[in-house]
Amino acid sequence: MTSYSKEIIRDLASGQLPWPQTRRIMSAYKDDDRFFKMVAVHQDRVPWKDPILLPVSDHLFICQSGDERITRCECGHSFGDYRKNWKLKAAIHVRNTEESLREIYPNSDLPDPEWMEIREFICPECGTLHEVEAAAPGYPIVHDFEPDLEGFYRDWLGKPLQP
Amino acid sequence: MLDKPASALRLRERLLDSERLMEETGCYDGITELSLRNQDPLKFETLHTKLRAYCVSAREMARRISASPGVREVGEMVVAIYTPEGDAIALSNGIMVHVHTMSRFIKWMIKNGYEDNPRIREGDIFANNDAFIGTVQVPDVMDVVPIFHEGTLVGWAGAVCHELEAGGITPGGDVCLAQERFTEGLFVCAEKIGENDEIRRDYVIRCERNLRMPIYWVLDEKAKVASCIDMRESVKQLISEIGLDYWMKVSKEFIEEGRRAQLARTRQLTVPGIYRGHTFYGHVTAGKPGFQPLGDPDWLYNIPIEMEIGTDGKITMDFEGTQPWGYHSMNCTPAGMDGGMFVTLTQHMNFEGLVNDGAWMATELKLPHGTWTNPDNEMVATATSWALLLPAYGVFQRLLSRSFVARGYVEEAFVGQVNSPMIEMGGESQYGTPFGMAHFECAAAGSGALAIKDGLDTAYVGWNPESDMGNIEVWEQSMPMVYIGRSIVPNSGGAGKYRGGCSFVSTWLINKTSHLRLHTSEHSSRVFDNGGMCGGYPAPTCQKHRAVRNSNIHELAAKGEPLAHAPGTDPHVSDYERNIGGDHVVVEGPYITAPHKQGDIFSHSYNGGGGYGDVLERDPVKTAWDVENGFLTREAADQVFGIVLKDDAEGYPVADIDATAKRRAAMRKERMAKAIPVSDWIAAERGRVEKADFAPEVRKMYASAIKLSPRFTKDFSDFWNVDARSIFTPGAKP
Ligand SMILES: [Zn+2]
Repeated sequence: MTSYSKEIIRDLASGQLPWPQTRRIMSAYKDDDRFFKMVAVHQDRVPWKDPILLPVSDHLFICQSGDERITRCECGHSFGDYRKNWKLKAAIHVRNTEESLREIYPNSDLPDPEWMEIREFICPECGTLHEVEAAAPGYPIVHDFEPDLEGFYRDWLGKPLQP
Repeated sequence: MLDKPASALRLRERLLDSERLMEETGCYDGITELSLRNQDPLKFETLHTKLRAYCVSAREMARRISASPGVREVGEMVVAIYTPEGDAIALSNGIMVHVHTMSRFIKWMIKNGYEDNPRIREGDIFANNDAFIGTVQVPDVMDVVPIFHEGTLVGWAGAVCHELEAGGITPGGDVCLAQERFTEGLFVCAEKIGENDEIRRDYVIRCERNLRMPIYWVLDEKAKVASCIDMRESVKQLISEIGLDYWMKVSKEFIEEGRRAQLARTRQLTVPGIYRGHTFYGHVTAGKPGFQPLGDPDWLYNIPIEMEIGTDGKITMDFEGTQPWGYHSMNCTPAGMDGGMFVTLTQHMNFEGLVNDGAWMATELKLPHGTWTNPDNEMVATATSWALLLPAYGVFQRLLSRSFVARGYVEEAFVGQVNSPMIEMGGESQYGTPFGMAHFECAAAGSGALAIKDGLDTAYVGWNPESDMGNIEVWEQSMPMVYIGRSIVPNSGGAGKYRGGCSFVSTWLINKTSHLRLHTSEHSSRVFDNGGMCGGYPAPTCQKHRAVRNSNIHELAAKGEPLAHAPGTDPHVSDYERNIGGDHVVVEGPYITAPHKQGDIFSHSYNGGGGYGDVLERDPVKTAWDVENGFLTREAADQVFGIVLKDDAEGYPVADIDATAKRRAAMRKERMAKAIPVSDWIAAERGRVEKADFAPEVRKMYASAIKLSPRFTKDFSDFWNVDARSIFTPGAKP
């Protein structure tokens, strides 16, 4: 069975692992103990104690917070119940003019702002840019991910979550 | 009696039986136990490796027969071995998208009574490029030959090449001007094109008289037939070694194992749940020459995807809410949609062990009837299906990647593929002969970023994981122009902690011709047709194309004055305009030009991929390297990434780490100051939605989605707390 140390997983996640070693990991059979090791790596990194149940983005985690399961930013900010779309509790900056699009695309041809806008979803506490949507004006905000958390822990990990 | 399978059942019954068994047992062909694998796993694995080696070597051999740079240089070919019912057992590398489309073609012939007429006999050759039977677009021409063993049909060998010229209304293969089937080019509809291992002469004559560049198509036919015969003979030899009964059983066990491996892989790499994403595609053709007034000339397409991963490991992708088919060339058939799914899965999940149709059987596509994914009219054109297919499967890659990130396999997360706009041309060649062809250097775009590193620069396209742009000299041999530049496009990857891969731009000088027509396809010029992930931005894919008619380049060259080899980094004035005299043209794709002549210059750029993660976390040292090597401009490093660069003694950029940290802290503050709560934004935006205060194309897009999809209507209405139907389709029946 393939297995890597927590240090290797940590360096892999942070992009610090040298490329030849990363490549070997990509080519090898997968390490089946990855999930909990990666969760432990994330847990070491975040400044809060709530147990992480699932990473959902680069700096967003579903965690157990008392009786609740919430989506939390790495900085600690809570976006509420994990079953709800965290974006609805974020801060947003919309680029729908040539001038504001130009800030991100200084040397390129731009989309037509009447047809498409860029929406930046930002943590109101630490300012991390968690997600960017490129959408037509008026397009509903997407709920990216609704994990089957209970099914995952019960059927795939064999460690059912306590209700 | 070669035309009657020895099995008591005819092929058609065997196919229906196989489908019934799958329905009843949930396992391919009713194989509930992998008994041969359990008996002797080593023999089982060795045999599959042999089959795969047959495929890989047949493809390599065939590439030497082809005349087309598309096949020879860029590798636009794939071959595979099938069961008698048409399910892929083993395949080569290459344009793997077609492994499953060929499967559809074989099944179509079986279901349509080909055993009786035109009959299926040893030595027969069948060809097809009709997407409603099984392919993606007209240039993807496939050939299959049956494999018989002592009178019994025991399998098929198949091969596909992407042709550079298909004889459509515009020269090339991705016929952007085709708005109906009738202008797409030469159709071969599941036709028997040869007998006794020989291609029929009348078929070759038809090709020669209906194509602008028949040498490519005809030699590719020969290459494909040679590879099929090669695989067929290898399989026959193998059967004589292992026995017919073992072959018939093991070939199906391979597929059932492939199906189980896909389900197991999903359970290993992902997290069950519902994933959602979308992308868009939009361009205008109003007022452009050549486009017939069949419908609305301007298009904005939304491509929403909902992917469900069940706890059994099955992946279901649902396209509900997308747009209707249209009088344009970008429609797709279910075969093409299957192909997109197959090639994506083979890259992301089946990169080891068995790859075959079993993977496809572990997934399900929901393609709403009447949309571009599943047209309810078989007269529609699919000549540039890739225009919508690539953005759609880029979304699929991002959805899968979210699941890899959640499961901890960050090294597999990949922001995905992008469209790679194609330029095609025709007219009179530098040799004075008629010609037409697609320029296939597009097969090397920038990829999306990974979750742990930057994307691949000029080295990836979704449809062929073995991406290659081909050598300049080979393209110059085939077309009446010479390169005066091929360079990286700075900032063409989406910004992020890890940037998307960059694309390239070519600049050509037309040479030795007085008639060269150009046209482009797969180009969303009004909206980004890709996205970033986890805070990364989309790649800037709305590129314009530039040309200079009647240029003074020869005079400049004679005087030894500087030329321009790329458009440069000023979006308002190109280096062509700065350095070269003549009539400057800036066009938005898709376009078709009036003939160019020698001395004219034109350029064409390809797309980079989306970014991953927050830009303010990008490594300043890597960024300095990017600036030094032309992947990023100084302007972007400073204003987008917040990286302060200084010059070293020799004038090379180096990152000022402390100044960068300060600048980024200030940018983060500014970001928070500019942003507003999403709830406030929704409240303010709702008024605009209620008034449908949008561009006409945006309103049309909503109206079309609402007409086709009750779910889209409900989601839209619930999100904005409005009645979407009364806003966008007033007066329409509910
Ligand atoms: Zn935060």
